[in-house]
Amino acid sequence: MSSHQKITDSPIDFAVEIINDVKNSKEEGVLKCVQCGMCTSTCPAARHSDYNPREIIERVLDGDETILKDDNIWNCFYCYTCHSVCPVGNSVCEVNQILKQIAIENGIGYEKLYEYMGFADSYFTAAIGAIPEIFFTDIDRDVPGWWDFRQHLDEIRQELELDPPLMPSEEVIDEVSKILTITGFKAKIEKIRASQEAENEERS
Amino acid sequence: MKNVPDKDILLFRSCLVSVEYPGVEASTKFVFDKLGIDYAISDKQTCCTGLGHYSDVFDQIDTSAIGARNFKIAREMGRPNLVMMCATCYAINKKSVKLLNKKDDLREHINKLFDENGLSHLKYEKDDLKPTENIFHVVDILYGKKDEIKYHIKYDLSDYTIATHHGCHYCKVHYEDTIGGVRDPNIMDEIIEECGCKTIGFYDHKRATCGTGFRQRYSNPDLSFTATADKMNAIADEDVDILVHLCPNCHIQFDRYQHLIGEREGRKFKAIHLNITQFIALAMGGDLDKVIGQKAHTVPINSIIKELKEVEK
Repeated sequence: MSSHQKITDSPIDFAVEIINDVKNSKEEGVLKCVQCGMCTSTCPAARHSDYNPREIIERVLDGDETILKDDNIWNCFYCYTCHSVCPVGNSVCEVNQILKQIAIENGIGYEKLYEYMGFADSYFTAAIGAIPEIFFTDIDRDVPGWWDFRQHLDEIRQELELDPPLMPSEEVIDEVSKILTITGFKAKIEKIRASQEAENEERS
Repeated sequence: MKNVPDKDILLFRSCLVSVEYPGVEASTKFVFDKLGIDYAISDKQTCCTGLGHYSDVFDQIDTSAIGARNFKIAREMGRPNLVMMCATCYAINKKSVKLLNKKDDLREHINKLFDENGLSHLKYEKDDLKPTENIFHVVDILYGKKDEIKYHIKYDLSDYTIATHHGCHYCKVHYEDTIGGVRDPNIMDEIIEECGCKTIGFYDHKRATCGTGFRQRYSNPDLSFTATADKMNAIADEDVDILVHLCPNCHIQFDRYQHLIGEREGRKFKAIHLNITQFIALAMGGDLDKVIGQKAHTVPINSIIKELKEVEK
């Protein structure tokens, strides 16, 4: 079917949605794709999984919105290798990020974000992007001495005479929290959390 | 080469540097002081949102609104040159400046939100900052001053086998602004040469990612560590003693997980991992505890560097 597609056909709507996304910095780059596969041949996720950046653009240009539910899109490393080698100035890495944001807007992929809610929480409590505590057990298992190091972080920072301290003032935290409330970020996080917790409860 | 400033700099604090390798911040200050670079740090500046952004939790509007606030802080200090210690902060901030300048609807949307919520003092006007003229990584600043590095070198590190790992978010995201090559990145190799050392230059997978992949390390560790192993094996094949980094996220992936990846690969990896500023600070005589911050490292620095020999004058 796609072999009969003309540029004026409706499947291009999906590509246009990506082009119009606020995150897109490549103008009409996605329409310039020549399917050369340079992206896939240099991609670390393609090397080690079923992720295929060339195919992502093919499906976008075919108007295939099922890609939003394809688990493979979550394998991108965001290394921008595809972006840096593309001969026509497209960026699959950016398209991938936009696809995920469209998915999230449509209620898809909440389970993928749930573990990362800590990145949001640390912003409201400390205005920093701390590694979510949910991962500390894994890190402690995988990295010898890491937990002990973290317990002594303040002393190490003191020895290095680092100033200002890690924790920003209340005023700064309040201002940042306010920004992330008015952009709609806080409501989005609450929605994702509530939806996942309801699902978890159903399962148990 | 693009114009690189040595003054009016806001040294942008990084979350990962602050809590994982604070010695990178101490070493950056040590080296900047030696080279006479005019910089300051602000207690008002906050995280760029990078880790959350690349875990898909923060969208562009959230990130650029936080960016606008940090850009205002820099301008109010009279320090419009933002200099990042972390490659991701560099990529994130440069992209926000580009988008805020170019996309009127994004800028107007964020400014309207600020206006309506008592935050008018944070508004960003078009071209308040310029992506190429104002947004830098620490390596850019070091490169701009590289001819002066040799006058401050105390120790000779040339007997070690040295390789570089150029972070993707420095080299590949805004490739039009990258100094020293994108496909064959060499900015750090050139800086290291000014310390009287020669790196091994190009090696297999030199331009490849560290394998962190943001969510991949935590949600998809097999994929992440397999990608890292490509590079770690290539580095071991070259018998590298010191791998030099420019990004704290890559630094974590190699230093923290080297032992685990060694077990997975059935191979003993020996390289120590230093940020470029730690490498230069060490060569300039910085103390291992008070400047380099060796206690934060998982692969002990003294497993490779057992003694330091002074350069022959």
